[in-house]
Amino acid sequence: MFKRLLFHLLRGNRIRLVVALVALTSGGAVISALLNLDLDINHKLSQEFRSLGANLVVSVPQIAASAAGTSALLDESALQTIAQTQLPGFVASPYLYIVARAGSNPGQSVVVAGTWLDAVTQIEPSWKITGNSSLSRDDLAHCFVGRNASRSLKLSPGSSFALSYQGHAANLTVAGIVDAGGSEDSQIFVNLPVAQQLASLDGKVQLIQLSVPGSTEQIHTVSAHLQSTLPMLEVKPIPQITDAEGQLLSHIRFLIFSTGLLILVLTALCVLATMAALAMERRKDVGLMKALGGSIRRVVRLFLAEVGVLGSIGGIAGYALGMALSIWMGHRVFGASISPRWEVLPVTVILMLFIALAGALPLRLLGNVRPAVILRGE
Amino acid sequence: MFIRLLRESFTRNPRRKLLTGVALVLGMTVATATFTVAVDVGDQLAREFRSLGANLLITPQADTLPIEIGGVDYRPIDQGAYLPVSDLPKLKEIFWGHNILGFTPFLDVPVTAAVAPNASAPQDFPATVIGTWYSHAMPLEDGTTFSTGASFTHPWWKIRGQWFADDSKNCVVGVSLAEKEKISIGYALDLTAAGRDSRATVTGIITTGDAEDNAIVCPLVVAQDLADKPGEFRQLFVSALTKPADALAEKDPNTMTPTEFDRWYCSPYISSIGHQIQQVLPGTQVQTIRRVAETEGRVLSRVSLLLWIVTIAALIAVALAVGATTATTAIERRAEVALMKALGATNFLVSGLFLSEQLFLAILGGGIGFLLGAGLARELGETVFGVATYPRFIVLPVILIAAAVVALIGSWIPLHRAANVSPAPILRGE
Repeated sequence: MFKRLLFHLLRGNRIRLVVALVALTSGGAVISALLNLDLDINHKLSQEFRSLGANLVVSVPQIAASAAGTSALLDESALQTIAQTQLPGFVASPYLYIVARAGSNPGQSVVVAGTWLDAVTQIEPSWKITGNSSLSRDDLAHCFVGRNASRSLKLSPGSSFALSYQGHAANLTVAGIVDAGGSEDSQIFVNLPVAQQLASLDGKVQLIQLSVPGSTEQIHTVSAHLQSTLPMLEVKPIPQITDAEGQLLSHIRFLIFSTGLLILVLTALCVLATMAALAMERRKDVGLMKALGGSIRRVVRLFLAEVGVLGSIGGIAGYALGMALSIWMGHRVFGASISPRWEVLPVTVILMLFIALAGALPLRLLGNVRPAVILRGE
Repeated sequence: MFIRLLRESFTRNPRRKLLTGVALVLGMTVATATFTVAVDVGDQLAREFRSLGANLLITPQADTLPIEIGGVDYRPIDQGAYLPVSDLPKLKEIFWGHNILGFTPFLDVPVTAAVAPNASAPQDFPATVIGTWYSHAMPLEDGTTFSTGASFTHPWWKIRGQWFADDSKNCVVGVSLAEKEKISIGYALDLTAAGRDSRATVTGIITTGDAEDNAIVCPLVVAQDLADKPGEFRQLFVSALTKPADALAEKDPNTMTPTEFDRWYCSPYISSIGHQIQQVLPGTQVQTIRRVAETEGRVLSRVSLLLWIVTIAALIAVALAVGATTATTAIERRAEVALMKALGATNFLVSGLFLSEQLFLAILGGGIGFLLGAGLARELGETVFGVATYPRFIVLPVILIAAAVVALIGSWIPLHRAANVSPAPILRGE
């Protein structure tokens, strides 16, 4: 009997049902899309911040360097140790700086950075490179030249020049011109072996720069972990990058979170008002059922079951729509997909159920009213 | 008659109107709050991004190639070009001068330093003196003073002890150098460079994660004195409030049409601000620090796009919910429509009556929603950025129109259906 009544109620007035479902589904869609997005946003945004460049530097501590009386150089083997730690998503690049002479005698003094030309473009995605920007780290014939250096040495992509340093020389062809907007603009970037051979410092590097994704805490954890695997060296986060990034990230996250919360609460209230309006409309049915001898409890239970069904359908449909929305948003905003999360489904359904049921609460109050009055439409 | 009917309808059954009103108020609150935040978020976040430091670097144009490793210029003092400090107030006079939040000149001088007095073993060590402003009050042309320096452009510098005053003979020492040479706060350092010397008292130890960790940072005048370059500097870091680059900003100003050029010149793009600085400081080279500018542009445009999409999605959901509420209350009143029609009212009169009722509700609800939403946006701005977001009155008509459209569409469909059906079955309750 209860089931049959419920079935009839649901079939009875299609427009009314559709109206309620539209409100519940659209509310559920926004809520689930926001929840899904919020779980992913930190990761996506910290990825964006990687265009700031390296955030960790590995070098020989000053004290040890001055005690040894040599300039602070570290062994290339540290790079292997870092590679073995297998941190997710990090990029490392060694640096060996020398001040060499470029061009024919006597030439101009210029800073030459020996590095890995494939890794350095990954660490510094903000560099604008005109010419060929993809070089392998084994390419000993090509180099990148900073914008200012190229102007002052009159070099353009494709032209070749000679570098000399303490009797050693190397002939290089310019692959690309780097615009970085900093001291890099007056430097020449070559692959590590070229610089090592020029300076006769085989197997040595000056420092290693790392670009590690993640929040400030994660970077500090990685830094501590690296420090423990490389006890002889100094691992330091770059505060300009890590501090500012952490602060900005937390602000942006808070902004999105609070806007999301605001929308969540108000959308929920809005749907609640719709459900309440729907429930109000049912007064006549309540009156009629009461007049026919139904106990108020039973009648209310019947209507709660009705809105319950509506709430769950709205929640599930809203979740499906919301996931589609958040996937589209991920593509549109970050150019990367945001995976749907199952844990959002129960939250959305429970929330929509709760809203639908809360909207039906006015029915309880109507239980006290005499049927005749309601049936007369007063 | 029409107005009396309208008044009757509101006074006789206010509860029924209440729900539609509440839904409208809530919906328009969401709309106003998110809209205001989305409009303002770019400006607010751009200000936040200044914690990344300077985004423009100004160097002399006729310069030889700097021999700069790890942030320290190893060129001798007599090599390369310098820029005059006296030109700096001009930076605040450019079209977007208001957007220049701070700038800091730098002058590096290689020196021989010694801890003094150190009678037992006066040991010299080579070091770099970096002359700069920490917090400098610069008088401007219009009589006001502009406070600038590393405290604005390098906010991540951390100090143990105290910063020097910009007219004092004090200095601060980088943490690595202090550790290496065992320098503590309160020591006096004798600095010698090419025959000129100076004594500075250490007031603090700084950590910057950059070249300054291995250097002595002192007021600009002290470094100028040591280098014998009074009133000059080598590098200027400028922190400017900018707008993310778009298609127009990427264009070469030389190939723009005059209208495009005007629009570009009057927009706070990093490239146009750089162009304007170049105009007032001839003989300089203005470079965009791409690392900072690029990140800022990317994150800013993504976050605002995200907020806009969220706002629009929320608006659509709210419009549907409000429409649903109005539809529900309208369905309920079909009997009334039928009765009116039975008594001889035209379709036009009936629809007019109901629609003006909805319109009145929409304007009332939209107005209240606007006030609530503006208050919420203000709170949100204050908690997130510490700066209140001011309500934009341009939003008000948009909100009112949106409320009216949503309410009218929501009630139009059921009423239209009711108006087309013959009165008798509806009055019978079928």
